[in-house]
Amino acid sequence: MTGERQPLYEARHIDKNYGSVVALSDVSMALYPGEVLGLVGDNGAGKSTLVKCLSGVHNPDAGQLLLDGQERHWKSPHDTIEAGVETLYQDSGLAQDLTIGSNVFLGREKTKPGLLGKLGFLAQKEMEREALADLERVGITVPPSKRTVSQLSGGQRQAVAIGRAIAWARKVIILDEPTNHLGARQAIEVLSVIQAAKEKGLGVIFISHTLPHVLEVTDRIVVLRLGKVVRDAPTSEFDTESLLGTITGLLDAA
Amino acid sequence: MSSVTEKPAPPPATAHAIRSADWLRSVLANQQFLLLLALLALVAYFTSRDSVFLSSGEIAAMLTVFAELILLAVGETYVIISGGIDLSVGAIAGFAGVVAAFAMRDMISAHTSEALVLTVGTITCAAIGIGIGLVNAALMNWARLVPFVATLVTLGAATGMAIVLSGGGPIGADSAAISLSARRIGPFPYLALVVIVITAISGLYLHKTRYGRFTFAAGCSAFAARAVGINVRRHLTSVYVLSGLLAGLTGMVFYMVLGSGAPTSGDGAELTAIAAVVIGGVSLTGGVGLITGTILGALILTVVQSGLIISNVSPNYDQVAVAACIAVAASLQALRPAHRRQS
Repeated sequence: MTGERQPLYEARHIDKNYGSVVALSDVSMALYPGEVLGLVGDNGAGKSTLVKCLSGVHNPDAGQLLLDGQERHWKSPHDTIEAGVETLYQDSGLAQDLTIGSNVFLGREKTKPGLLGKLGFLAQKEMEREALADLERVGITVPPSKRTVSQLSGGQRQAVAIGRAIAWARKVIILDEPTNHLGARQAIEVLSVIQAAKEKGLGVIFISHTLPHVLEVTDRIVVLRLGKVVRDAPTSEFDTESLLGTITGLLDAA
Repeated sequence: MSSVTEKPAPPPATAHAIRSADWLRSVLANQQFLLLLALLALVAYFTSRDSVFLSSGEIAAMLTVFAELILLAVGETYVIISGGIDLSVGAIAGFAGVVAAFAMRDMISAHTSEALVLTVGTITCAAIGIGIGLVNAALMNWARLVPFVATLVTLGAATGMAIVLSGGGPIGADSAAISLSARRIGPFPYLALVVIVITAISGLYLHKTRYGRFTFAAGCSAFAARAVGINVRRHLTSVYVLSGLLAGLTGMVFYMVLGSGAPTSGDGAELTAIAAVVIGGVSLTGGVGLITGTILGALILTVVQSGLIISNVSPNYDQVAVAACIAVAASLQALRPAHRRQS
């Protein structure tokens, strides 16, 4: 998989400790354009910590992060967003009481032209309109209304959150448990949105406990256990049983 | 592909009927509309008791009371929508008024022009408000206090300092300020007009600008706001500074109405301000609210308090009346299912 292609986003020898607790130890992984990379592991394996390092929430204690081959030192999540890396967190990152459009443009609001814009006045109608178009482009249709996110169902919210991330991502999109709490039909919709992201040439990191989803949507799987990478292989080399065995470590013992 | 539209559009024949039923329901569910109705009903009731209620002089008196309240309530609206609370606003107003009164008293005895005196007073009040707002933010950011505790600290400190500095009594006797605060066109005191302009600008800023949007976002979910790159800590700092600034300016309003800086002028004002915000339908959990609600809430409180005076009810019942308004407004909101949050 390494070949002569340059990874889009790469982590090299990442260490991260919380006090005396070792969360990540010498973790390396690489994500290529148009690839969906599954990141799996048991609770406490270090998935969330790795996501936080990749999305700029935490700084690794040691190791390098390279985006497009360039070493980056994220100071905040804002830095990673600026660089084209979008993260969708567990329990989505939506502001429940704001409209769909306001959420899609949250943190990068469009302002009116001229003096009003300089004073920070928002082009709200334009944002609502463009938000619907952005979501539609990745296959999500929402009613053109001033509805707040709190008035949507769980699946609809998740669709909006993912749609927002894909609409804005220029390089990488990190999805932390995007199919959690979703019904079967809604989960399938989410998986199809991930395919749309892949076709857009984005690199997708897909974190999930739902192994059938991981096996269905990913190209390659990285398995973490107790803060270490124990397996990094094409998805075709796994089935549910072997994947589960690798995650729990029972396969090694056998 | 995935679709978030689950309900199909109603067939055209029934669409019209449904739309008008929806319209009626949305009007009745519109809290702002109900508040406006309540306000008009109160005005009609008190006017029927005594027609002096709608006289120019009485309206001017009510607008002055409104001016003493609304800036505190606007600042509180920002803070509560951002997910916090500011208990220090009344104390800031009292303290700022006292400090500014010292400066102005010296200038008046040196026969400085009244315009310059009031300008210096206003700037002093604003600076003190901003300063205490920064202290509030510092207590939250560095000492890690929750807003309730941080602003309780500055409430106590500012109230105490105002009494210590003033010796407990009013500072200065500025009759020129009193007469200026009473000047009006028709029923509109200039002082109230200035305050209304500040209120309108603050309201537009809350609902129409990026700054206001960030305030809502921080109150909905600080996590979500941070995740999209908003510097929540810096934003909240500015919100408490804004609330402090508006409270400081209220200190100047008190000074002009009383002609002196009275250390007790802001006592309990934070509770009336919070009452106006709550009556206006701003959610105490943050993220939801309208400035028009706060304005209507403040108007209702003003009308009730003035109406009781007109009706010869002892002003000692003021607090009870405010409490009754809160109870009615808050329970109406709690009972409205449309407003309940899902999860």
